[in-house]
Amino acid sequence: MSTGLTPEELGRYVDRAAALCDLRIAPAHRPGVIQSLGGLAQAAALVAEFAIPEETEPAPVFEPAPGAEPA
Amino acid sequence: MSVIDYATADGLALVGAVRARRTSALEICELALARIAARNPALNAFTHVLAEQARADAARVDATIAGGGDPGPLAGLPFAVKNLFDVGGLTTLAGSKINASHPPARRDAAAVRALRRAGGVLLGTLNMDEYAYGFTTENTHYGPTRNPHDASRVAGGSSGGSGAAVGAGLVPLTLGSDTNGSIRVPAALCGVFGLKPTYGRVSRAGSVLFAPSFDHVGPLGRSVRDVAAALDAMQGPDGGDPVCASRPAEPCLPRLGEGVGDLRIAVLDGHFSRGGDASALGAVAQVAAALGAGRRVTIPEAHRARAAAMVITASEGATLHLADLRTRAQDFDPVSRDRFLAGALVPSAWYVQAQRFRAWYRERVGEIFRDVDVLLAPTTPCPAPLIGQDRIVLDGVEVLTRPNLGLYTQPLSFIGLPVLTVPVAGSGAMPLGVQIVAAPFREAHALRVGALLEGKGVAAAVISA
Repeated sequence: MSTGLTPEELGRYVDRAAALCDLRIAPAHRPGVIQSLGGLAQAAALVAEFAIPEETEPAPVFEPAPGAEPA
Repeated sequence: MSVIDYATADGLALVGAVRARRTSALEICELALARIAARNPALNAFTHVLAEQARADAARVDATIAGGGDPGPLAGLPFAVKNLFDVGGLTTLAGSKINASHPPARRDAAAVRALRRAGGVLLGTLNMDEYAYGFTTENTHYGPTRNPHDASRVAGGSSGGSGAAVGAGLVPLTLGSDTNGSIRVPAALCGVFGLKPTYGRVSRAGSVLFAPSFDHVGPLGRSVRDVAAALDAMQGPDGGDPVCASRPAEPCLPRLGEGVGDLRIAVLDGHFSRGGDASALGAVAQVAAALGAGRRVTIPEAHRARAAAMVITASEGATLHLADLRTRAQDFDPVSRDRFLAGALVPSAWYVQAQRFRAWYRERVGEIFRDVDVLLAPTTPCPAPLIGQDRIVLDGVEVLTRPNLGLYTQPLSFIGLPVLTVPVAGSGAMPLGVQIVAAPFREAHALRVGALLEGKGVAAAVISA
């Protein structure tokens, strides 16, 4: 599964998204981060290309009052 | 000369000897401490040994027995825990250098409390991959944990110290955590039993989380009955963990002898029958033959489940550590640092879509369990790789070692299924594991199959001399 993104394109995303997240990525760490994000992009593409029904909701259920007894 | 062979007896055999006063908990504790002192320097499984606390706990068990009281179902059983569990008085490292400056924990994690309350004697804490992000326990800060059956090989991870400590006979029982395979992978590579209970079955309160959507805690042990007894001591509701299930405990130990006559057992096909070497797939065939399981079923889209697990893990893991990633990324283990940093940059649409896929996949697997009770799959695609070995050849293709050790475990923990990995004496010199997978909250099914395989000699813990 390929995302079609080049390392340069991923690098530009890493630089801008990191700035938005107030995350400073040291030059020594940048190539490894780009490589890791590339792997995650491939994984995400594998998930995204698979059509699931629109009504499928994420699994986690937020309980407004966990453990509360009925009134 | 002790009345019991500490290095080979399982935990409940030790408990039986203590309760029958054929030996004492203190004597067992001294045997454990001596074995740790002799073997641990070469293995690097323990990061902290609690000798004095253990002796005091053991003496308390002996005093209870002497006074005619009930010392608990795990009386005098020596155990140790992955160093992401809080242990009162110790700093909880979670395999990191960063957490080493934290204050000591004020009390034990819920699972540790449960085992000690049942009479277990805590011997210490165990090495792991930093913040549980790895499958090999090649920890840069604290050194690699070595495989007890070949010191040049990894113990697996992230609960590598937990696997090695049991496989080397240091303690018969350990606790680990499993997000994507971190109990099952080291248990398999070290030749011991490992149980990842159903998501929410055992409280995670007081343990350092990694990816909360998938985090589980569970036991590794020398026998099926040991892990069943540990599960029984730990399971049940706990308001201290928001995902802990409210359903009551369902003890498994009394059910181990029920056999498997009523269970529909099948071998997992598709993703779980590809990409592994012949020995890993052969171990499954060996177990299936022993169980007379000729049927094969396919979980659809398991490879996408693994991909979705990777995205969710990276995003949740990075979010938990974001403050430290911002201010001191250089202090993270270089082995996992870049993956944590990348996880912090995951777009929300990737994450949410992965969670939606998870719901879809849970439904499909639920449909399979209407027609079958137990599924079989390899635990790892190969035996333990060498320490420092970056690439392995699987099915003729060269792939990265670290992520691919979770090839078969990730699509199962992704939806919280209970899985027992059993050690199978394969054709090679190094141990391998087979996953026995049950429907949610049906740990007893997996454990009954494990007990039958153990009784037949098909599955057996391999304890290094």
